[in-house]
Amino acid sequence: MKRSAFFLPLVALAACLGLVACSDKPAGVEPLVVGMDLTYPPFETKDTNGNPFGVSVDMVTALSDHLGRPVEIKPMAFNGLIAALKTDSIDLVLSSMTANDERRKSIDFSDPYVRTGLSILAGNSSGVKSAADLDQPGRRLAVQIGTTGEMYAREHINNAKLVSFDKTQACVMEVVNKRADAFLFDQLSVYKFSQRNPDTTVGLLEPFQEEFWAFGIRKGNDELRAEVNDFLAAFGTAGGFENLAETHLAEEKAMLESMGIPFLFVTKQSSQPTQSKQPSP
Amino acid sequence: MEQKRWNTGGELLVATALILAVAACSAVVFLQLNYQWNWGVMTKYWRVFLMGLGLTVLISLGALVVSLVVGVTLAAAQLSGSVVLRWSARAYVELVRGTPLLVQLLIGYFVVAQALGLDNEFFIGVVLLSVFAGAYLAEILRGGVASVSASQIEAARAVGFDRAQIFRFVTAPQALRRVLPAMTGQFVSLVKDSSLLSVIGIQEFTYQAQVANAATFNSLEGFIPLALGYLILTLPMGGVAAWMERRLRYED
Repeated sequence: MKRSAFFLPLVALAACLGLVACSDKPAGVEPLVVGMDLTYPPFETKDTNGNPFGVSVDMVTALSDHLGRPVEIKPMAFNGLIAALKTDSIDLVLSSMTANDERRKSIDFSDPYVRTGLSILAGNSSGVKSAADLDQPGRRLAVQIGTTGEMYAREHINNAKLVSFDKTQACVMEVVNKRADAFLFDQLSVYKFSQRNPDTTVGLLEPFQEEFWAFGIRKGNDELRAEVNDFLAAFGTAGGFENLAETHLAEEKAMLESMGIPFLFVTKQSSQPTQSKQPSP
Repeated sequence: MEQKRWNTGGELLVATALILAVAACSAVVFLQLNYQWNWGVMTKYWRVFLMGLGLTVLISLGALVVSLVVGVTLAAAQLSGSVVLRWSARAYVELVRGTPLLVQLLIGYFVVAQALGLDNEFFIGVVLLSVFAGAYLAEILRGGVASVSASQIEAARAVGFDRAQIFRFVTAPQALRRVLPAMTGQFVSLVKDSSLLSVIGIQEFTYQAQVANAATFNSLEGFIPLALGYLILTLPMGGVAAWMERRLRYED
């Protein structure tokens, strides 16, 4: 009696495991799997109900309509995205990823859709006023592992001490706590974090390195790359990016324009020229 | 009687002083921090936290059972007469205990799960955690069985018990009682170790807390409910273990 009562839940659980493991794939068209790190508002984040939300999520929906193919968002950590792409876990990366040469060694990129840059979240009392103040002996600079801020620092910072963290939040806390003088990160996030911590930090928003964001695509998957480029051109022409800016980035857009910094979205594609509504330098 | 009452009063005094001291230290430490807390926007994300907690509970429960199966199997293999079984189990235990869980998770997810075509996050989480915790459980169980003295086994054999009877009536009851505290510790660790699954994008409690932190541009707020949530899961485990220890107690 006792023994059977003990084993029953075991058997039930094993059955559950088996069922869950087998019930993964619904029949029909294979969905296009897009990897995103959902910790990067307002581009990739979650709404308060826990559903994926943001600029990139809307873009993926539009891409799904354009291709006539279902799309599935697979949340993962940013520094796992490229590995996931290379090992076929996902088909595309859309996670505010900068297309740069270092990453081009392992994956391909679509045409760019966002132009932005590296900026500085500086401590209020750090004395950092511009990028020229960064590489000095005695300085401590925080960077996030796997980001372009880290890549820049590894290449250009020789005198200051670097501290690298896995999480954006840890880098911000280093500056808030004055353990680091500055955090090298992208412009919009720096703006948000400086707003969030006005007593301890200041955002130096003028980008010191220009960057372009693009879809990440597995090397050699030229068919999908052509389809994505096609989508970006069509989406830009149809005013899709203006709509996204209005929905998700109204405050940021106003801020950048007031500073004379051109706004993010690249509507003029190098391969598919369409008329840009934003001034481009 | 008089003596005891005085003791109780003294103990109470010490306890109060301790609590006050801990509270004062915490206050001092947190006031040092020049950080503006912002809880308002965080509370909107309670559903996200709850979803994460739910998945952590499910994965932990699943891994608790599966790791026990893995542990018992490995312990049995190590105690068996077959050299091959003993060595294989030994190699497994040393390999798993000697490498970081983080590395096991990354290889297990990006290499093994990928090769097997698995993409169910619950299933992957349960298996990877069980592989890890099973090695520790195997050692705890093996140690428990080995702790029963040889003279008792010989005595049992002398009165005519066969191997199964010796295990059932002599070894198992004593071993079980002795391994219980260590096993509880291992299961508590298992629940907390599941937080590392966030690095492979399994959307458990820690992952969701990070999502909520990021979505609100907060740095620390999400970690407080996270700590409380894990406490809510782990504290009852200690209670259950204490109850089982009382049930299994004999000789006193």
